[in-house]
Amino acid sequence: MDWRKVWVVTRHEYLVNVRRAGFIIMTASVPVLGIVVLLFGAFFAGQARQLGAFFEEQFDVGSKRIGVVDGSGTFSPILPEYQEDFVPYTSEAEAEAGLTAEEVSAVLLIGEDYLDTGRVVVMTTGSGFGAAMVSDSTTVRAFFVDHLLADWVDPALRERAADPMDAEPRVISSGGETQGEGSWGFVFTFIIPYFLSIFLVTTIFTSSGYLLQSVAEEKESRVIEIVVSSVRPVELMAGKVAGLGALGLTQVLVWLLSTVGFSGGAVALLAVAGAAFIPVRVLVLGVVYYLLGYTLYAILMAGVGALGTTMRESQQLAGIFSFFAAVPYMLSGFLFANPNMLIARVLSFFPLTAPTMMMLRLPLAEVPWVDVVGSIVVLLLSVPAALWVGAKLFRVGLLIYGKRPTVKEIWLILRGEV
Amino acid sequence: MGMIIQVQNLVKRYGDVVAVDNLSFEVEQGGIFGLLGPNGAGKTTTIRVIMDILNPDAGSVTVLGQSPGQAKGRVGYLPEERGLYRNLKVLDTLVYLAELKGVSRPAARERAMGLLERIQLEEWAARKIRDLSQGMQQRLQFVASLAHDPEVLFLDEPFQGLDPVNAERVKDFVAELHREGKTIVLSSHQMNLVEALCDRILLIDRGRALLYGPLAEIKRQYTPNAIRVRASHIPADLPGVVEVEPDDGAFNLGLVEGASPQKVLRALLDRDVEIQTFEVAPVPLEDIFVAVVSGEEEDDGLA
Repeated sequence: MDWRKVWVVTRHEYLVNVRRAGFIIMTASVPVLGIVVLLFGAFFAGQARQLGAFFEEQFDVGSKRIGVVDGSGTFSPILPEYQEDFVPYTSEAEAEAGLTAEEVSAVLLIGEDYLDTGRVVVMTTGSGFGAAMVSDSTTVRAFFVDHLLADWVDPALRERAADPMDAEPRVISSGGETQGEGSWGFVFTFIIPYFLSIFLVTTIFTSSGYLLQSVAEEKESRVIEIVVSSVRPVELMAGKVAGLGALGLTQVLVWLLSTVGFSGGAVALLAVAGAAFIPVRVLVLGVVYYLLGYTLYAILMAGVGALGTTMRESQQLAGIFSFFAAVPYMLSGFLFANPNMLIARVLSFFPLTAPTMMMLRLPLAEVPWVDVVGSIVVLLLSVPAALWVGAKLFRVGLLIYGKRPTVKEIWLILRGEV
Repeated sequence: MGMIIQVQNLVKRYGDVVAVDNLSFEVEQGGIFGLLGPNGAGKTTTIRVIMDILNPDAGSVTVLGQSPGQAKGRVGYLPEERGLYRNLKVLDTLVYLAELKGVSRPAARERAMGLLERIQLEEWAARKIRDLSQGMQQRLQFVASLAHDPEVLFLDEPFQGLDPVNAERVKDFVAELHREGKTIVLSSHQMNLVEALCDRILLIDRGRALLYGPLAEIKRQYTPNAIRVRASHIPADLPGVVEVEPDDGAFNLGLVEGASPQKVLRALLDRDVEIQTFEVAPVPLEDIFVAVVSGEEEDDGLA
């Protein structure tokens, strides 16, 4: 391997692609969004009150008071602390008139048999969604609990019964460590690393996408034969993987720095605080999976990309890898509930899903060491295997013009018969 | 002059197809060597093996006394399937291609500017390639193979797709490079240009060598026993002449084997025949090419 030539390709790929309109637009999207938010904020700075009123108006559903027609007698008179939010009506017709006149936003029709059946009709205008919102409202539930227990228990107990618990997640790992203490602890321990993982996985695909584009363009423009007469295909591939990997990191860096800049350092503080909460193991392994994942996907993308005769064809061929990488995302909902479920563990040992699956699992739970070591070993073995396959496909694929090789031809390429 | 490219018993297969079949030849230093053959003869495959783009299945290749991989930086290549980075600037493209061959960045810039001046594109150095006309791009592709000042230059169908003006420019450029001492291997279908430029040739078909050696010698071998005379008339009893055939205001005279054209000329002068032109009939390379390739196919029962 001639490392000087690898460096020339790396620098060329980086400098050419960093000036691409697509890259600049995508990279600039986050800072531009920040500028828009800043300008928006500055424009309305002197009119904060009006702005608040404006938003309030947009989201106001009219009066928040709720009418009550009490047929059971349990809710009459309405307790003093609820008299501001709840309006008593004597009949359904009167309540309906109040609702139409927008005196109240909803009406609770409590029947005579309420204590036996619990049946309450919730009357609203507009969609049924409003009725569902009212039924689920904490205030309405507290209203019922307080009135039902008013003559039986003291106010403190009534209040606790209306709002029985304020949950604070605390997860004990197998090593006995305590994770995610308090609500913010949960955010720092699970949510931030989880989104960090998604962020890194996304950059893997952005970068390998650029690689695919670069290979397809060189092939489509017929410049490739001149290039491979100067460098070995494996050197060209290594240079492209390094250069476009650096490009992906540049994009991440710009996004992070601009986010920090525009939010006046608040995000930076959050990130520092987040990093303090993120276990070192998750951070270190995250970087390991990021590097292994990018290398594996980039090599395969380059190899398969070289087989296509046009950009579109190369993208179609490489789509298979994007599908595999997306499988762990599809399982995100289940992963939150049980990051160590069997399917997640199995996919952690499959090279094409291992990087994304492990990056998603790591922040969510104590992943067994056997999974960590096993998946890293699988990836370490897969990278040279991918390099072998990718370099062969790349070497021959680059020189096939005009038609996509058949499966039989690909097989011959891999066996070295072409 | 020594031989700077040596190909010995080269074999290259694609699956069951033998693209190059036990091919051997040598290229002399400082010469222009023509690699000829019909489509699919194995010319491009042979060049790709010499350029270290493909690995041979058997045989050996040495370039400038080195393996093809080691000699990469000393060899230039203009492939048949060619193009350039459309969105890259003209100068940047030449510098990058030279750097890939191992030239330092400053030296590559200097060399690239010199080449651009040579093809009158220096004012386009900072423009993107997509802004260049087709003819300009073709000239640029040609000099891209020279960006690192190679000792040996492989030109695979360099005249393909060129209009007559640009073809003539490239032809002159090749002749100029030859005068500068570069060794050139030229693969082309345009026999008139090959004939005008090459001193030695190799004609291959289906991967096998059909003709190989100095062009003049090959042409001599294939020169028919005939004379072309433009004259008022041809007397009937000329010595050694067995056939007289009028052709476009002239006469083609067929001679018996071993007959001397000089004796025929003397006989014509002795008989006071008014002669405007007298030439030993030249055989165009194209005729030799067609005759040899067709003959080979007939021998193999393909014609």
